[in-house]
Amino acid sequence: MLQALIGAVLLAAAAAEAGNATRGERAFQRCFACHSVDPAEPAKLQGPSLFKIIGRPAAAVPGFVYSEAMQKAAAAGLVWDVATLERFLADPEAVVAGTAMSIPPVRDGDERADLVAYLTRSGAFGP
Amino acid sequence: MRSSRFALILLLAVSTSAGAHESKYYDLAKGDYPHDVAISAKGEVWFAGQKAGIAGRLDPASGSIERIALGKNSAPHGVIIGPDGAPWFTDGGQNAIVRVDPGSKAVKVWSLPPERMPYTNLNTAAFDGRGRIWFTGQNGIYGRLDPSSGDMKVWDAPKGRGPYGITGTPKGDIWFVSLAGNYLANVDLESGAATVYEPPTKEQGARRVWSDSKGRLWISEWNSGNVSVYDPALKRWQQWKLPGASPRTYAVWVDPDDKVWLTEWSSNAVVRFDPETETFASFPSDRPGANVRQLLGRKGEAWIAESGTERIRVIRTP
Repeated sequence: MLQALIGAVLLAAAAAEAGNATRGERAFQRCFACHSVDPAEPAKLQGPSLFKIIGRPAAAVPGFVYSEAMQKAAAAGLVWDVATLERFLADPEAVVAGTAMSIPPVRDGDERADLVAYLTRSGAFGP
Repeated sequence: MRSSRFALILLLAVSTSAGAHESKYYDLAKGDYPHDVAISAKGEVWFAGQKAGIAGRLDPASGSIERIALGKNSAPHGVIIGPDGAPWFTDGGQNAIVRVDPGSKAVKVWSLPPERMPYTNLNTAAFDGRGRIWFTGQNGIYGRLDPSSGDMKVWDAPKGRGPYGITGTPKGDIWFVSLAGNYLANVDLESGAATVYEPPTKEQGARRVWSDSKGRLWISEWNSGNVSVYDPALKRWQQWKLPGASPRTYAVWVDPDDKVWLTEWSSNAVVRFDPETETFASFPSDRPGANVRQLLGRKGEAWIAESGTERIRVIRTP
């Protein structure tokens, strides 16, 4: 577990270098309606919190009602690291078939990298 | 623009607890991802192909499908038929209102002012009684476009992010709901000011709204699994829980007979509610994971966009 977390942190650091978190904050407008990176977010949003998502197993936010598709992906071992997040943003259905998330694909690779860099800024998942 | 193709049509005529009805399914191209659907007075069925960035036009009789590209980065969420008979799209990818001319197939784009918010997550639109189109943006805005002059106004929504479904009443009034804000709102057609009405169920997740023939507002509540109705004349709310252990009510449309059609994700079904008898009838999809985000139709026909299976479905009832 510790090894996996260290790996996630290293990968997150690499993403931060590859993408631009400031541009990513702007790109996060695509996600803003349903997600928050604020751990104290008061609104009940349609998507789970993305605070410290790097390294977090799928479907792991306590109390959030996940789709059956996301629960299956979690049972199969899906973890949100830099690579899986990039793939998910590019084509959510390809990573989690049947996901309830309906964001249009983020086709621009640089924009995806920026988004992941922004998500990385809140730190990596862990106890 | 791509060449026409023919949809694989599956026809099922069944008699169940929902009564005699006929279901027909039209397969779309993989990746079209039909988010919303609308049928014109001429019987053309238009859908918003969100992931492909296209307007889709289906001929129900032949099954032929035409795909019209809406522009670079297009990702249309909603489609409605305007008073001019044309399909109008709320295009999140272009952050614009888009019209397709059904005859010439010309695409006209009205961009939102970028200085307010470059990406508003445009959601849904409705026409008022004065030829103007109103729209919601889930990132926290609503707005109005006068297509004849090009004048566009955008306002911040009460409570910020969340504006989702929007509807026009027979009188031409405009109402919208906020999914994250958990409210119904009525707009002043001239000033744009929004007046908020709170449904009785807290954090109900009001996702979509539709008016019946009497101007009552029917709301699909995602978090609570209810269908609720607000009667502006009586200032009265009523609500009913959909069948099942943990229903999730996504979309609502009221047919010309004032029967309320809903989509419910836990049972993977379209559900019809009869306000007179206060009873539900269920029309499950024939495939799992239909993920129906919207439906809209005309007398005797409910047209349904199955985003999860990338099909258009029609349910015909006597």
